[in-house]
Amino acid sequence: MDASTVTTDTICALATPHGVAGLAVVRVSGPKAVSVCDAFFRGQHTLGDTPGYTIRYGWWIDGTERIDSVTASVFRAPHSYTGEDVVEICCHGGPFTSQFIMNGLLKIGARLANPGEFTQRAFINQKLDLTQAEAVADLIHAQSAVGAQTAARQLAGGFTQRIKGLRTRLLDVIGLIELELDFSEEDVEFVDRSRLSTLLSDLVQEVNSLATSIHSAEILRSGFHVAVVGYPNAGKSSLFNALLERSRAIVSEVAGTTRDYIQETVYVDGYAVHLSDTAGIRLTDDSIELQGITLTRSMIEQSDAVLVVNDASMGIDHSDGLVQDVVSNFPGLTMLIVQNKADLVGGGIQPRSAVEFGCSARSGDGLIPVRNALLALIQQQTSQSTDVLVNARQATLLVQVSSSLSSALDSLSSGRPSDLMAVDIRSAIRLLGDISGESWNPDVLDTVFSRFCIGK
Amino acid sequence: MKQAKYDVLVIGGGHAGIEASIAAAKMGQCVGLISMDTNTIGRLSCNPSIGGSAKGHLAKEIDALGGVMGRIADASGIQFKMLNTSKGPAVWSPRSQNDKDLYPLVAQNLLLSTTNLEIISETVVEILVSGGKVSGVRTASNEEINARAVILCSGTFLNAVMWTGTDCTKGGRVGEPPAEKISDLLSSLGLEKGRLKTGTPPRIDRKSIDVRRFEPHNGDENPVPFSIHTHSVRNQLSCFATHTTSRTHESLEGGFSRSPMFTGLITGAGPRYCPSIEDKIYRFADKDSHTIVLEPEGLSSNTLYVNGFSTSLPKDIQDVGMRSIPGLEDATILRYGYAVEYDFFFPYQLTFGLQSKALDGLFFAGQVNGTSGYEEAASQGLIAGINAALYVRGEGSFTLQRSEAYIGVMIDDLVNKNTEEPYRIFTSLAEYRLLLRIDTVYDRLLPQGNKLGLVPDHVVSRYEILQRRTNELVQATQKTKVAVNEINKMLVEVGETPITEPTSAMNILRRPKVSIEQLLPMLDGVEQSVYQEHQDVAHRVDTMVKYEGYIEKLHRDVERFAEQEQQVIPPSFSYLGIKSLSTEGREKLERIRPGSLGQASRIPGVSASDVSILSLYLR
Repeated sequence: MDASTVTTDTICALATPHGVAGLAVVRVSGPKAVSVCDAFFRGQHTLGDTPGYTIRYGWWIDGTERIDSVTASVFRAPHSYTGEDVVEICCHGGPFTSQFIMNGLLKIGARLANPGEFTQRAFINQKLDLTQAEAVADLIHAQSAVGAQTAARQLAGGFTQRIKGLRTRLLDVIGLIELELDFSEEDVEFVDRSRLSTLLSDLVQEVNSLATSIHSAEILRSGFHVAVVGYPNAGKSSLFNALLERSRAIVSEVAGTTRDYIQETVYVDGYAVHLSDTAGIRLTDDSIELQGITLTRSMIEQSDAVLVVNDASMGIDHSDGLVQDVVSNFPGLTMLIVQNKADLVGGGIQPRSAVEFGCSARSGDGLIPVRNALLALIQQQTSQSTDVLVNARQATLLVQVSSSLSSALDSLSSGRPSDLMAVDIRSAIRLLGDISGESWNPDVLDTVFSRFCIGK
Repeated sequence: MKQAKYDVLVIGGGHAGIEASIAAAKMGQCVGLISMDTNTIGRLSCNPSIGGSAKGHLAKEIDALGGVMGRIADASGIQFKMLNTSKGPAVWSPRSQNDKDLYPLVAQNLLLSTTNLEIISETVVEILVSGGKVSGVRTASNEEINARAVILCSGTFLNAVMWTGTDCTKGGRVGEPPAEKISDLLSSLGLEKGRLKTGTPPRIDRKSIDVRRFEPHNGDENPVPFSIHTHSVRNQLSCFATHTTSRTHESLEGGFSRSPMFTGLITGAGPRYCPSIEDKIYRFADKDSHTIVLEPEGLSSNTLYVNGFSTSLPKDIQDVGMRSIPGLEDATILRYGYAVEYDFFFPYQLTFGLQSKALDGLFFAGQVNGTSGYEEAASQGLIAGINAALYVRGEGSFTLQRSEAYIGVMIDDLVNKNTEEPYRIFTSLAEYRLLLRIDTVYDRLLPQGNKLGLVPDHVVSRYEILQRRTNELVQATQKTKVAVNEINKMLVEVGETPITEPTSAMNILRRPKVSIEQLLPMLDGVEQSVYQEHQDVAHRVDTMVKYEGYIEKLHRDVERFAEQEQQVIPPSFSYLGIKSLSTEGREKLERIRPGSLGQASRIPGVSASDVSILSLYLR
């Protein structure tokens, strides 16, 4: 990209997903956004005569051909998302209409936008800072209502402020150390070591809690993954269906490419819960070798919780061997045990622990407690931080910040000279700057903008 | 009348002028050094001392590149001390106390014994320009001296005014007149100038006080010279420490109404890091005492320099204030402190080779660039001298990177940053402080000095011996396995955990509380006596081993940094067209015109998002 394309190109892209839908939006941005649209738009007013923040109704006409009746929203620079002149053309959905509109625009000098280019222009025109640009990507990819809200808060700049705050405090610390290093013993007293140690430990704790909140963030962004295991005919599928029905959510059945597993998504109070059923368990009915079944193992490893389904009519302890296997192979992983087909057991089910539930997928009895237990698990695992949404890039950097600061603390306690401590603290400051965009790092830009698909 | 033509003319015989003349002459140029009063060449105008925190690094770097400051300091030194040994090796820094009469004599002898170099006693009133290039100078006696390059090292003398209280005298140093015409002439050529201030403390008579009442500050037990050329140095005198009291502060405050600083008579900004005593009292009102060190000005001098008491207050106030200091009740002031206000030229107008961007062949070095300190001036003089010689030869310029030398850090800062106060070097200004240690200075710079023709081969051979010793010792620590019973007693004594199986000496040396000296007797094939003699080598190996991880990490950072430096911004690049740059960022970029993205990112006022935007434009 050279200077001329950044300033003079007019770009366009479909801003809504491809496919069948009620409406589609084509977004055009750049110095010629208004004039290229005026070549096709016929209404009571031209778009050129239209002030910013105004919507016009009219026909989109290419040559002699009426493409569609559309509305065109006009935004005038710098009061638009990108900071340039922007027109958003809202036409009827379906793959063809929007494509015809795009083709016309491309013919007369607009260019197809690169992935993330709208947001990149917003960044260049200082409408967004780097973490806000990242938040746009997060918002687009958010899989939960809470995630979207959090990303929206980050878009408002809250996360940047947190990181800037940490960085400012570190700058105070380095100031003390540099003062001590730069003046001879005769001029300046040594900084109180216990004070330094307290300052650094506090910072390490905060950075760690931010860094570990990536787990919460991942759940909010991508959903809560539950591996469902159980012997064949334990009623996993009917449990799935019952949960789906109860939650009145959109059903999406994704068959694995090798048909090794089934994943379904249900929404529980605005959280996406991905339930995965593992074929491995289904096939190995009596000899349960979790160790040996790679796919099952990796699926459980990547899950936030395991749900064991037992056919209670075969005995309440029928799957205890399986439970034991999971516990010993995945220590620390949260588990729920569902005693299904409770309606077939005379006298009902007496749960043996707080994570065990009796229910009947067929009749729907006892499903609400299961659903509530899932919700409680999600809330517990996302409680760490809901005011910022840390993504992988930021988490990686935060882990590096934490390790630099820990190394500084280690130098402090083992009595190494403070010029080493200074190296670690300076590097932590630089890394925090990379997160917030306060220091300049050429790699950061690429990483951030590579997460966009076209049109954002 | 026209004099013989010179290749390089150096104006001013201070620390910058000396290095510039000798470097250019050694590089084969015919050099003229012009001074208003040749007896004043090489004077220590302020404190009788060379080196100190970070400044000692500069003095060592000058030596490694083939400059002379370290040699002069060694030959005229009366006390030598390594500062900051209680801190990390990156901030170890040598300092000497020097005989104020001897220092200029040694300097002048060096100049006189340099071939191709003539000393000219004259005042320059005009810099001659022809065809957009410098062509020489005109002197006060209306002589034209032709030269292909001119290096301006005028120190604090441009339009200089001295202040003591409200008394004001024209001059750049006590008893010496200012240089008045050059500054205006350069302004008329379009160069932007500013005004700065510096000061010096009173000197007192040693005979008027009893030095036995003070805590002596002595040199090191084993004094180490600055220069690789010097074999040994010796401590001959002590300094003495005392402090101001609240009574001192009260009496000085009594003179604030007649202070040229506080009444607005002096408009130039002073150095924040070397403040006057009145500044310290005003800014640190909660401190009721400041350290004062009495430094002898020489072996045959009764004068004591009152370090920490720089002032431009009226004379009567200086007397009263001085006598309120414990031990100085009867002190006689031989010379009162004063402030000097002078013109400087903003160094953003220079290339990294210290040549004027506006006028080919004109170089600037020293305080005229807004710096403070002998060492800062001398290093610039050296770089300007080298580059003037290269310019005359028609060769490309010689510059040092920030990752290579404090000199590189300083010049990069000068070109990129605003000079709002006199610039002083600090170790914290270096991103790669750990790499710029004094024990690495000859690795970093001696080969470059040799290539330039400033460091003779026999000095390089001496350095290579030290290199070999260093490598041998490193290898010995790698190879030697230390037995459990051999080392555990010592480990426990110093407070380290004992080992359970034979371990390499190198691994043991990595522990913070173990020193190389303790391991020397155990190392295979190492003659202890060699390293007892070469303690610097032993100490160096200690640092190399202990800091290895950090040093490697910094080297990787340097490589990353180099990539940014290679992202070239074309000289013709127009910032004005990029509306999205911040207003301040655009102005700074337009003014300084950085050569690379890395440089742009270091300009204050150019934000990270400005640089990101630039980088998108440069793709």
